[in-house]
Amino acid sequence: MVRFGLEFVPRELFWKTTYYAIQADKGLFDNIWITDHFTNRNVYVTLTMILVYTDRITVGTGVTNPYLSHPLVTAGAICSLNEIGPGRVVCGIGVGDRTTLEQAGIPMQKPLAAIRESVYIIREMTSGRSIKNFAGQVYKVPGAKLSFKVGKPVPIYIGAQGPKMLELAAEIGDGVLINASHPKDIETAMKHIKDGVSKANKPLESVDVAAYTSFSVDENPKKALKAAVPVVAFIVAGCPDPVLEKHDIKPELGAKIRESLVKGNLGEAFSQVTPEMVDSFAVAGTPNECIEKIAAIIKTGATQIVAGSPIGPNIRRSINILTTQIIPHFKEVEKPQALQKI
Amino acid sequence: MEKDLMEIVKKIPMAIRIELAERIVDLLLNSKKAELMPSGLAKTILYYWQRDQLTSDTGIEKLLEAGIILEPEITVTMLNELKLEEIARMVEDLLKTAK
Repeated sequence: MVRFGLEFVPRELFWKTTYYAIQADKGLFDNIWITDHFTNRNVYVTLTMILVYTDRITVGTGVTNPYLSHPLVTAGAICSLNEIGPGRVVCGIGVGDRTTLEQAGIPMQKPLAAIRESVYIIREMTSGRSIKNFAGQVYKVPGAKLSFKVGKPVPIYIGAQGPKMLELAAEIGDGVLINASHPKDIETAMKHIKDGVSKANKPLESVDVAAYTSFSVDENPKKALKAAVPVVAFIVAGCPDPVLEKHDIKPELGAKIRESLVKGNLGEAFSQVTPEMVDSFAVAGTPNECIEKIAAIIKTGATQIVAGSPIGPNIRRSINILTTQIIPHFKEVEKPQALQKI
Repeated sequence: MEKDLMEIVKKIPMAIRIELAERIVDLLLNSKKAELMPSGLAKTILYYWQRDQLTSDTGIEKLLEAGIILEPEITVTMLNELKLEEIARMVEDLLKTAK
């Protein structure tokens, strides 16, 4: 059965994110993913708050990166979370975006090796094993072991976009987080994921393939689209030309949006976002429109749908719509009532 | 203020509490002054939300307290909109006393 997740960016106050997380926990969601950027509130503090105030939902980094946070530190943090919410923690890791790393003065060196080695280190450490004389291309660990008892092994998800990273993610990960919202892009990603699992000689079903979408739902379609526009503007601005062309978007339009954003002219940038761009890079619209698009994504083989930023013009209401109208369309469940209360 | 607020809350009919709680929660979540929320009060609200107790006496009391701190005028207007005129008046009096 397909799983549903929510992504939160901890730019919001802790109590707000935690409020939404409790709402998701009472609803039909399976996962909560918290992004990790040094510019925002700390991912592990946010996850701790969420674990304390929720009872069943699985939570994880979505995603941390191996350059700003050494895999040994990540492993310790993940095991600590697993003590607070046993069996409810996953670790999402990806190389992150170049711009953020550049701001920190950290080069994105050997991304494939960095991920492969990080996953090895995190998996060993979170399984309670020690690492001895590890000499990788990116990390050297002469000897390391956590000094406290760890819980059950934590599934590791890998954030991926390019073909090689997708293949690697499927090969060594327990899950893959595909940063895409259009069935066409997820279908392409699935080909590489299949290559990855066959390389590891494991069944495709052993990997949770999550479509990490930009999502916006509201009963009013105009409001839903409007909320998605800023996120889509940044996605289009950061997209390589071939990706835009694949969606029949002229690269010069992307360049214009990028130019406006660089100048800090947000209004101008957002006004250049077309409905076609929103359709290519977000799941946005009325509940029925979102159901239609989610169904197309699931058809490509995705096993988890993550509703990412902005979620909707009114996040509380959008989570309610997801719980009461959208998720029940894909999961056989009893009518959820708790959420209708507040 | 806590004792007075609880006296006011006890006069709010159960039938309107779900809608009232929803409206205050939306007000708090979308307030531009959300950072004024005291940390302890936020944690109490989350505690009651986790346990489905936001419509209890204490749940409503804590929500109203937060509404008064973040958006006092809108909170009073909202109470009037919900036909809780007497409650609105009492909250206004409470605000005047607090000043």
